[in-house]
Amino acid sequence: MNIYQRFFAIAKEKNITESELYISKNSSLSMGVFHGEMESIQASTNITVVARGVYRGKFGQATTSSFTKDKIPFLVDAIVENAKVIEKEEIASLFKGSEKYKRVNTFNSELEKVPTEKKKADLFALEKAILAKDKRIIEAANISYNESSSELIILNSHGLKLKQKNNNFAFVGVAVAKENSETKTNFDLILDNDYKNVNIDELAEKIVNGALDKLGGTPTDSKKMKVVLSPDVFASLTSIYINSADAERVQKRSSLFVNKLNTKVASTKVTISEKPLAKTVYARSFDDEGVATSNKDIIKKGILTTYLYNLETAKKDGVETTGNGYKAGGKIGAGVATLFIKPGKFTKEQLFEKVNEGIYITELEGMNAGINAVSGNFSLKAEGFLIENGKKTRPVALITVSGNLLELFQNITAVGSDTKMQLGGVNAPSVIVRQLSIAGK
Amino acid sequence: MISKKLALEILNLGLSTGADYAEIFYEDTNTYSLSIDNGKVETSTNVNSNGVGIRLLKNLQSVYGYTCDLSKKGLLALALTLSKSFSDKRVLEVTHLKEKKYKTISPIGRDYSDVTKEEKVALIKEGLKEIENFDPRIVRTIGGFNDTERNTVIYTSRGDIVKAKNQFGRAFFMITAADQNGIETTFEGPGAQMDISYFKSENINLKKIAREAAETCITMLEAKECPSGVMPVIIQGGTGGVLFHEACGHALEASGVSKNLSCFSNKIGEKIASSLVTAIDDSTIPNEWGSIDYDDEGIKGTKRVLIKKGILKEYMVDSFNGRRMNAAPNGASRRQSFRYEPTSRMSNTYIDKGDSKPEDIIKATKLGLYAKSFSGGSVDPTTGEFNFACSEAYIVRDGKIAEPVKGAVLIGKGEEILPKIDMVGDDLSLSQGMCGASSGSIRVNVGQPTLRISSITVGGRGGELK
Repeated sequence: MNIYQRFFAIAKEKNITESELYISKNSSLSMGVFHGEMESIQASTNITVVARGVYRGKFGQATTSSFTKDKIPFLVDAIVENAKVIEKEEIASLFKGSEKYKRVNTFNSELEKVPTEKKKADLFALEKAILAKDKRIIEAANISYNESSSELIILNSHGLKLKQKNNNFAFVGVAVAKENSETKTNFDLILDNDYKNVNIDELAEKIVNGALDKLGGTPTDSKKMKVVLSPDVFASLTSIYINSADAERVQKRSSLFVNKLNTKVASTKVTISEKPLAKTVYARSFDDEGVATSNKDIIKKGILTTYLYNLETAKKDGVETTGNGYKAGGKIGAGVATLFIKPGKFTKEQLFEKVNEGIYITELEGMNAGINAVSGNFSLKAEGFLIENGKKTRPVALITVSGNLLELFQNITAVGSDTKMQLGGVNAPSVIVRQLSIAGK
Repeated sequence: MISKKLALEILNLGLSTGADYAEIFYEDTNTYSLSIDNGKVETSTNVNSNGVGIRLLKNLQSVYGYTCDLSKKGLLALALTLSKSFSDKRVLEVTHLKEKKYKTISPIGRDYSDVTKEEKVALIKEGLKEIENFDPRIVRTIGGFNDTERNTVIYTSRGDIVKAKNQFGRAFFMITAADQNGIETTFEGPGAQMDISYFKSENINLKKIAREAAETCITMLEAKECPSGVMPVIIQGGTGGVLFHEACGHALEASGVSKNLSCFSNKIGEKIASSLVTAIDDSTIPNEWGSIDYDDEGIKGTKRVLIKKGILKEYMVDSFNGRRMNAAPNGASRRQSFRYEPTSRMSNTYIDKGDSKPEDIIKATKLGLYAKSFSGGSVDPTTGEFNFACSEAYIVRDGKIAEPVKGAVLIGKGEEILPKIDMVGDDLSLSQGMCGASSGSIRVNVGQPTLRISSITVGGRGGELK
């Protein structure tokens, strides 16, 4: 009997009627350089096992990082004890499996074949390239290579057995630019699982130009302005906005999307889809409950077409799960694997022309606290550039941008053609927002 | 636990290729999380985090790895893999390990694992009961409890074994209110490095805390949008301490300072703040949220006077970054768990009390903002540019607190804002929070007395302040 079978057998003995193991294994390598020296190397193997079971009709759960024989009693006892205090009315049950699972390709076996020496050499080259591009670049910071290979396995007592392997790598860097007494930093990265897509010089160029462009930034006057949001900024806001479609939050009336299904929650120019089966490093063929995922629209031409369901919230609304059950803080919440925003027809320059006078926002900071995901209200520190006479002009710094997500999405008047996959799994374009409150001087 | 004999074997294997320092960090942490959503227990879950991190240092290079395979074979394999990063001759051999004996500043009470889940549920339900029929506009209440028992053993090539056991409890309430105009949420989460008796003592009143969270939520629901622009801002103590944490604290961590990547690098002895500002990072306050006996590389925790009357005095220094800046470590090296390499971090960080009465600070302000509490913020330690968001704020008019406003954010640069602190109150208070950085999410206290910044940029949607 292997350790998994042993767990299921002991759980059954303790009257846990259904049980599940959610196993994530990960091994990673990361390297950092500073001033031409290898400064840090990290190598790790990691396993997390989340054990869930149904006891007297309620779910109990416990997690361990070292899944050995002697941890089984802890897991089983904790499932029983935790289930005893749960007061949900719904009868808990585990998923028996979807009819069909579509394959996703998130593991590139070629990555392991690239020699570590090559990766090291590229890393040193990145630092060197950043420092060499411009004499105003005084330092290259956080220059690192991170590689990770992981495997997710879901097993349950109904015989469900699912597995997905992932690997990816990232080159990361920050440039520090200084002119007179002003210091500016800029961060960028390559995240991929195909090493053929690595272009160190291009990355260095992006990191450096981003930092140099910010030099000389000053606040603007405080007023309401027309705004262009960069793909990066629009992606971050979209992630938070789409979380409002979490069916649990809607059912508990703590979402912007209460009573909003099949109504307009964005401008007709906006279509946002979840595409877990698209070829990205974020792809998933099943969610954390073992339900097959599918590509679907969430907002179509401004209309909210679905909430995001897991098994439990779907049951409550009398619908099918949408395959959006993802673990969050000790329970199954709702989430998305990856979002695609439909591009428009305008280049970024055309968006600037359309705005004529306004501001181009390229960075938002303080998302951890400055945005209320429930009300949609936000006040965030921002950076960017002025748009004057239809062109991007001088940099702007130390300003805040404030608004409400529902209003922002309804005020999108044009969508750019410049979609790009952003960190966090949102493929987003630039957009024009009719007006946002800017505070500066 | 790892036997002394095995620990010696691991350390010496790690040192075999020329490393000048080796360290084993063993951790066995148990956490419990409870959440009661609209009166019903919805989540109750245990997490056991058991693993080992091994670190080797050689001059200015570090090698770190961790594993959950705690067998002798697994640990030696990790040490061997890490040692292969170097290819020099051995410079150090550890011959003995001795456990440090010390008296803890945060004595352990009743183990949280000995408290039944039912008892924790009852504790939080009592708080929630207080707000059951508080206001029909309250649409969702979440109450919860998190506790942690962290057992660590650090073995170092200095010959030390440092064993520690720490326990933490935190209760929290999250309230959501809605009406036809919008939705608001508020959060209160008091915690301590103590056993469950803290939550039943006179030090804390969960009913009162739940009620205050509900009251604030309704106030903020009714509040107008915060005006924007540059204005004087009074910041109340407690969560207001996030000002110093972001505007200055992170930039005083050796991780950035040692590489000249901090706006406060090479500024010891210089005036960086108003003379009214004395700022302290003290990990030696008994039972406080951010306190430690020894840090996560086995060095004794200390009280650090960072800024004295405006003059920069000291940084938070860990042993690795200390090498680059020729500074001795001062017990500030911390990590979330064995999955993180430790680095310099804050503990209980606060601006010390001054002479002004809080009411006099308000009286002295004709038109400005009174920021009562904050939900968090962030900073780029290189540029010093920070932001932090208010969760409760009011306009000050003619020396009096007037109408509530919502959606305020304060931004600026540390070096420009610290000199603008022009009044400091005598009412110091601390608040518990979690701080995220390269070595993970750790417990910290932020704190300060009521103080005033003569002018700072405020963001909001309410137009000009009139």
